[in-house]
Amino acid sequence: MLKLFLIGIKDLKLIFRDRAALTFMLLAPFLLTIGMGFVTGRFSGNSNGLSDIPVVIVNLDREQLGNALADVFASEELADLMEPTVSSDPAAARRLIDEDKAAAAIIIPAGFTSSIIPPEGTTFSQSNVQAEPVKIEVYANPTRPTSAGVVKAIVDEFVSRVEEGRTIGMTSIVQLMQAGLLSPQNAESEARKLFENVQQTESTAIILKTNNEGAQAVQFDILAYMAPGMALLFLMYTVSHGGRSILAERSQGTLPRLLVSPTSTAQVLGGKVLGIFLTGVAQVGILILASSVFFGVKWGDTLGLVILILAAVFGATGWGMLVTALARTPAQIGSTGSALMLIFGILGGSFINLDQMPAYVRTLSKITPNAWGLDGFTTLALGGTLPNLMQPITALLIMGAVLFGIAILLFNRNGIMQK
Amino acid sequence: MKKIFAIAWKDALVRFGSSAELLFFIILPIVFTFILAGGTPSGDEDPRIPLTVVDEAKTSISQQVIDQLENSTAVRPELTTRQAAQSQFDDRRVEIVLIIPSGMDSISLQGGSAQMELFQQPNNINATVAERAVLTAIRQVSSSISAAQNAVKQRESIQPFASEAEKQAYFESSLETAQSIQKNAPERVAVVTGNTQDEVDYDPRANSSAGQLITWVFIPLFGISALFAYERQQGTLRRLLITPSNKATFLLGTISGQVAMALVQMLLLVGFGILVMKLNWGREPLALFVILLTSALAAAAFGTTMGTFIKSEGQANGLSIMFGMVFALMGGCWYPMELFPAIIQNIVKILPTTWAMQGMLDLVLRGGGLQDILPEAEVLLGFAVIFFSVGVWRFRYE
Repeated sequence: MLKLFLIGIKDLKLIFRDRAALTFMLLAPFLLTIGMGFVTGRFSGNSNGLSDIPVVIVNLDREQLGNALADVFASEELADLMEPTVSSDPAAARRLIDEDKAAAAIIIPAGFTSSIIPPEGTTFSQSNVQAEPVKIEVYANPTRPTSAGVVKAIVDEFVSRVEEGRTIGMTSIVQLMQAGLLSPQNAESEARKLFENVQQTESTAIILKTNNEGAQAVQFDILAYMAPGMALLFLMYTVSHGGRSILAERSQGTLPRLLVSPTSTAQVLGGKVLGIFLTGVAQVGILILASSVFFGVKWGDTLGLVILILAAVFGATGWGMLVTALARTPAQIGSTGSALMLIFGILGGSFINLDQMPAYVRTLSKITPNAWGLDGFTTLALGGTLPNLMQPITALLIMGAVLFGIAILLFNRNGIMQK
Repeated sequence: MKKIFAIAWKDALVRFGSSAELLFFIILPIVFTFILAGGTPSGDEDPRIPLTVVDEAKTSISQQVIDQLENSTAVRPELTTRQAAQSQFDDRRVEIVLIIPSGMDSISLQGGSAQMELFQQPNNINATVAERAVLTAIRQVSSSISAAQNAVKQRESIQPFASEAEKQAYFESSLETAQSIQKNAPERVAVVTGNTQDEVDYDPRANSSAGQLITWVFIPLFGISALFAYERQQGTLRRLLITPSNKATFLLGTISGQVAMALVQMLLLVGFGILVMKLNWGREPLALFVILLTSALAAAAFGTTMGTFIKSEGQANGLSIMFGMVFALMGGCWYPMELFPAIIQNIVKILPTTWAMQGMLDLVLRGGGLQDILPEAEVLLGFAVIFFSVGVWRFRYE
């Protein structure tokens, strides 16, 4: 066991003395993570999805419903979502949208309230309430479709509430009048009473029960995807580079020397694999630590994080051993390893989130340690703990074990570890 | 001239000595171009917030709610099973889940027992938006029943019903009135699309084709540094000292060979872009040749300079790939440049990849011609002159 460990530590030391390898293992993924941070807006504070949507409110109505709608956008409930500014000039508001200064402008025309709630002194009838509608204008910024869609949805919700209140009020009055329980003379005052809080109507036919308790709020940090994405990409380089050292030792004659010493083949191979594994763990560990120290990424459950790193490196090491077992020369491992690193990088989601990839790519991604590893890191960043990581960890362990098994068979068949 | 050709041919033989080189020369660039063209957002995707919906009722009422959600401008309903929704919600992979339980039908609506559940991740802004969209959908489906129920209550508060049958008749009459009112309800919101100019010029196929071309051609050209380091390590550069070949012949042979191979690689990738991805690369052949050649020269010059600083082949290989990938990312070859903050957009103008990408997008995306790509070509030529000068000046055989 000690020999195995010594061989592993020796390989770890060798690689950490190689500045070229360190550049590729640590500096390259770190620089690419910084680049990804810029692309995704993480460093400019624009990566947190919907928040502080700039919206311009032009309330020309200045009556009950217009004021109520303006209040909705200024409400405490929407404080994090909306950043409303008030304007009195519709043209100026539209200009702000055209200049991409806001996501949408809401122009509430004069007479909006009176088009729904009959003004005092108006005789109640179904026809005068349904007069030509005065429409709220949502002037939407086409380059911000999500934000503009959200603004429209909030206006729709307000209008649907008003419309439901109007339907409820009018139905009651029309029915009472038809039943002879309400005279046309009294209808106007009754209607006014029913319309008084029309914008606060609550639906009664279907009750919506909301449930948002039991967990802490978590804001997903995009770098929690990008940083491990790059670390896993370059991990594939590390494991193939490590495999290359097995063949290099053979061609340089140091492997036969080891094998004539009182050290078994299993110990030598185990030591080499341990060296690759330890190097990978150190590489991913350093990069994940750097993401916390330099970029403030919060990884939550430390135990889950450590086990996930170990499992991801185990899975990747399995691929490294398979490539080594299939290759004949160190140069072959170099080129095959680099190709595998890039193919797994794109299939496994290191370059682009797998959710944006076609379905066949998502299916293919299951053969890569990158995809399973990223799945686990994303779960952790979303507040998950070890029990939530069971699926990716199990998949990575199975992947590693199967690939090791195949690699050992190939090693034996090809006689790589023979004196 | 013969010597230059001989050196270039020797480098080509060394490079393609292994068939694995074909992977990096053409196969992987094509795979990456193809996948990224289909995998990056084109801007035509549904921008609405996904809302996971579990429809256990499968009634006309539940379908009406889902149809109304489809019309929402804020959320996009995605149907799944309760088990899948629960699992994704527990893993925080979905932010909002709407459960329409079994038994949601017109009878339960009339009886006032209809209830839906909305699970939201806490303090989640998207969930706030989704809740409003769901309430809007519910109102569209149920407000006439709510109105009829309310009318019955109003009537009861004034004059109680004589019998259950009278109450039911009043309810049905009210429902008819409410449905008529709802049907005739006018549209009260008008959406006008603004005239905002989209500053992001993006077409996933064009960007992917140009961006991957640059990435996969620049990395081997930066790898000229590895060629120098390899020959220096092997001692073959020293051997040249005793041959009647000067430094210029060696450099010209090595560099022109690599540039020629890069041009072949570029033309193959352009051909793939034209034939498979139906991109308009070939509209201005002269402009295309100018931008490809100046890009290759700039990258080769950078590789030459690198080769004079780097000692070992291993270092050169690692740094070539690292610089190639970082320059490609920062030069807008993987993601549109407009996504970077303004200050970074200015800083990355020091990279040749930025200018190469702009020039190629001028051609293939913006429909430009020779005049349009000349500024980029001039800058790339400037890079080539500066880096070749430094490289030649610093070049040593040992």
